[in-house]
Amino acid sequence: MSTRMTAHESLREMKRLKNEPLLLLAIIIIILFIGLFVVYPVLRVITFPGVEDYLKLFQRSRWLKAISNSLQMTLLSATSCTAIAFLFAYVNARLDVPLKGLFRFVTLLPIVSPPFIVALSYILLFGVQGIITKQLLGLRVDIYGRTGLWIVQTVTFFPYAYSVIYGVIRSISTNLEYAAYNMGASRWKVFRDVFWPLCRPGVAGGALVAAINVLTDFGNPQMIGGDLALLPTEAYMQISGWYDMKTASVLAVALLIPAVVLFLVQRFWVGKRSYVTITGKETSLNPFPVPKYVKWGLFSLTLFVSLFILLVYGTLFYGAFTKAWGYDWTLTLENIKYVFEKGSQIWNSIRYAFLASLGAAFLAVVLAYIVQKKQVGINKTLDFLGILPGAIPGMFLGIGFVMAFNTPPLELTGTSAVMVLALLCWNIPTCYSSATAGLQQISASVEDAALNLGASSFRSFKDVIIPLLKTSFMSSFVLSFLRSVTCLSVVIFLYAPSTTVGTVSVMVLVQSGQWGAAAAFTIVLISIAFLVLKVSQWLLGKQGITLEL
Amino acid sequence: MQNFIEFRNIVKKFGAFVALDHVSLSIPKGAFVTLLGPSGCGKTTLMRQLAGFSEPDEGDIIVNGKRINGLPPFKRNTPLVFQEYALFPHMTVYENISYGLKLKKISKEEIKQRVDTMLEMFNLTGMEKRFPKQLSGGQQQRVAFARALIMGQEILLLDEPLSNLDAKLRVDVRTELRQIQQRLGITTIYVTHDQDEALSMSDIIAVMRSGRLEQVGTPWEIYFRPANRFVADFVGTVNFISAQVLLAKDGMLTLALQNGRELTIPQGEQAEEGSGPVTLVVRPECIHLHVPGEPDAIDVLDGEILNYSFLGRMIRYWVKVGEDILIFDDANVDLNGARSGKVKLRLDNNRLHYLKDHGAHVVA
Repeated sequence: MSTRMTAHESLREMKRLKNEPLLLLAIIIIILFIGLFVVYPVLRVITFPGVEDYLKLFQRSRWLKAISNSLQMTLLSATSCTAIAFLFAYVNARLDVPLKGLFRFVTLLPIVSPPFIVALSYILLFGVQGIITKQLLGLRVDIYGRTGLWIVQTVTFFPYAYSVIYGVIRSISTNLEYAAYNMGASRWKVFRDVFWPLCRPGVAGGALVAAINVLTDFGNPQMIGGDLALLPTEAYMQISGWYDMKTASVLAVALLIPAVVLFLVQRFWVGKRSYVTITGKETSLNPFPVPKYVKWGLFSLTLFVSLFILLVYGTLFYGAFTKAWGYDWTLTLENIKYVFEKGSQIWNSIRYAFLASLGAAFLAVVLAYIVQKKQVGINKTLDFLGILPGAIPGMFLGIGFVMAFNTPPLELTGTSAVMVLALLCWNIPTCYSSATAGLQQISASVEDAALNLGASSFRSFKDVIIPLLKTSFMSSFVLSFLRSVTCLSVVIFLYAPSTTVGTVSVMVLVQSGQWGAAAAFTIVLISIAFLVLKVSQWLLGKQGITLEL
Repeated sequence: MQNFIEFRNIVKKFGAFVALDHVSLSIPKGAFVTLLGPSGCGKTTLMRQLAGFSEPDEGDIIVNGKRINGLPPFKRNTPLVFQEYALFPHMTVYENISYGLKLKKISKEEIKQRVDTMLEMFNLTGMEKRFPKQLSGGQQQRVAFARALIMGQEILLLDEPLSNLDAKLRVDVRTELRQIQQRLGITTIYVTHDQDEALSMSDIIAVMRSGRLEQVGTPWEIYFRPANRFVADFVGTVNFISAQVLLAKDGMLTLALQNGRELTIPQGEQAEEGSGPVTLVVRPECIHLHVPGEPDAIDVLDGEILNYSFLGRMIRYWVKVGEDILIFDDANVDLNGARSGKVKLRLDNNRLHYLKDHGAHVVA
């Protein structure tokens, strides 16, 4: 009964759209765009292999191994990521210790870095030509495989879990803990009965974010996974080595299923279990001090991890200025010169990232505005379209684009357009959540107030909504830009010689053992990303806006 | 007086929930009308129909003789002060106050002049360049008033504008607001759940409950002649005493209380057949202490003080009388402190009100 009534109301709302042609047009364009560039490629990949191809997945032991390895690695790395993320979040939010600036910097670094950077540096440190293994200890160890990948994934992806957990811990009022102490609870009981239950949704959310990233990551496994069969790397091998699109599709679908499950759990289960309410009024007391040995113990652990990460980045920097890593340690500018000779690839990185993020941020703002503030009868469907690309691994999207757009009428493979479009779609969810959060902070009555004073819908959008969304628009644009410049998985199947980007070059250089040039390329990419971040923070800061990442 | 605003049989549904159930209300020009009721009763929804933020499913809204259904909010000229003020956070005080005039394409000089008048009226001079977040709650609230009043319209809508202020400030502002409203003669609709605000400011109070109007009347009528138990209970503290009508004669009503005592009160406007159960509505200030030594009249109640609360200008007592507990206020506070033990109480016969049928909810 009630569903029929809602359907009826939806229909009535949709009919009203006839009076707002601009709104109707925007909705149609968005649906067509996401339908063509997200839904269609996904369906192509899923429907391309036949049943017998899917059955092969269970017949070849290597594929089964790849599935189980991927899941194991995800579980293992997500656990360690969450533990380290919780440590950092707790220390930064609750302890009175020095060097917090360093700890925060360390958690920011991986966000402006290409995903494979830790793997590359790890090879430089501990590999066959490693500065520690070969140079200092004179060892010859095989770091490729499970353990190496585990360490690398942990260091790479714990910051994503950190930002979720930190946000939750920060918003837990210390007053609640004082209330428990006041009722006679011991430190341990306060932690167990009050603090931890309130953290739990954040910890679960952080763990899932880390898990999704580890599961779908391509760069690190490709560089350091060695013989370990994993779904993303196996799918890549099928395409680049055997041109077997059917098997690649089957493996990609095998990757899509757990990714979607994790995504749905994160979004609908954890998302609803947050106890956190932000009132903005509450004044919290300083955290209750913990015993000295706990405080300095945690501090030392955090410092150790931070120093390791600094070592990772420092090594890369050193590598970029070294002649031949492992053989000739002379300092040189050759590698940097090489990067500038390949300047067009860096320029491609910047160009595509800029266009893709601009497009994604714009589309997301319009979509979020319609979903949040207009009753158009299909709000839930539109909302779904906004978050949908977030469930699709970057690599899956790449394969989808190859299959969907390599034949007329839409033959885009090898063009710049396909690079931009793929990155754009990949960034829609990031921008969409940011725009949605921004809009939800604008209370409905502010727009009502404008209407009430005589502003038309368009005038209130222009005078009130747009200025108030500036922050979330800019932060989603910058975040998308950083993601795009450092992205490998989406573009790995889509580039042509003339549209190669920086990240692809690094991968090729690593595979051919040109460590110095690879490191130099990476350093340049990080510098660009960091520069963009700092400049936009500075520019926005002048207008009194803090950039939220 | 001529009706300036009229709601005629307004129905508004949200899905299966009926927010407004055939509401009709007429508002004379220049009146201060308060929509009073608990949260969820439909008072804000009714106001939003007039401002045009949502459209009624049935019924007409008439302003100055014209039906305004379907008119978009920005063409209605019904400035509203929002509960959480809804100031534009990215605009200064000056920009906020002048925004509506700017939309009307009024000349810069005139805007300046009118804003200055408002700044002066609301004690905001010197704060033009500040942003809302740099103001205190009380200042933000005055900006919100200025932004609405500057439009110079004949209607002003106020949606619980005082609920975010602290208690003392609230009392000051409501006196000030009522003075401004009377001086400018603006027809004002005021939404609140606070009975003190409603009683102290209004010409007319409309008490709402579950999407319906329970009673419309002056503050005096609402307080002393409530139409039913709900109104009596919602507006102020009240004692309900069951009684039986014994005799109706010469405009007087003789009632029998449960303890066998008898009571004679003026009959009022209600016609009474001369028998049947009624409920007495007794405000705490309509009960007096019976001074020892006075003749023990027939309508004196014996009770025992259970509890008291000292409020400075009076003491509120909870007294057990038979099976009931009566609340009464003694304004005659002396330095000796509170009384205790057994007391005799006397009802102020001239200020009592009674409801038929045990005070069931009768729609006004």
